[in-house]
Amino acid sequence: MNLFRSEEHARRWPAFQARAEEGFISLGDLAGFFGTESRRHMLDPDYLSTWFPRRGAERAAYFERIGKSTPFWLGTPDP
Amino acid sequence: MPDALLMDRMFQRIMRGLVDTGTAPHYAELARTLGLSIEEARQTLHDVMRAYPIGWLHPETDYIASFPPLNNLPTQYRVTVRGEQRWFAQCGFEATSVTWLFPGETVRIDAPCLDCGDAVTVEMRDGRLTWVDPPGVVGHLNYGFGASRGKNFFL
Repeated sequence: MNLFRSEEHARRWPAFQARAEEGFISLGDLAGFFGTESRRHMLDPDYLSTWFPRRGAERAAYFERIGKSTPFWLGTPDP
Repeated sequence: MPDALLMDRMFQRIMRGLVDTGTAPHYAELARTLGLSIEEARQTLHDVMRAYPIGWLHPETDYIASFPPLNNLPTQYRVTVRGEQRWFAQCGFEATSVTWLFPGETVRIDAPCLDCGDAVTVEMRDGRLTWVDPPGVVGHLNYGFGASRGKNFFL
């Protein structure tokens, strides 16, 4: 999960995986993905018990919203 | 049966320690703070890490290596706040979440591009992107999420 100067830079990275052509995400979408409600409570005293468990559902919903609902992004098994 | 309240308290001490100093406390330090024996603190640390599996201990040790969004082990994602570079993000993606640990502050992420080594710089404040250089910076997930992908997804 890295930041590159551009998509072309990522493709030139020697470790770039062929399947990871679908692995690009804009910085704006990334900030949104990591800015869902639970993320805003990491300093709360009940973060681990109350907020962290909500993270998975938030992530899935966000990915659906931005059109990244493939197994690669959702972490689900390939069909 | 792990004590949820105690785990919350330890989680907060670790996260607050990272935010305040740039390094995670050792379980022996957490023991004193939380009123636990040293061994109780070590066991509770393991409970916390099991409940927060996006972080990890260094293999075969009780040392906190990663406690996202921050990392106790240096990465290429250097985090600067108030002109001080004390912190490291777990990865490029988690770097965009560090902003939530420093409300009201500008959080700057500096990293070398893994292709060319030239700088990638992102600044955020309260979740908003305020500066990106170069403007075409993108995020990239190389292995896909999920254990079935075979590699740690944060790489």
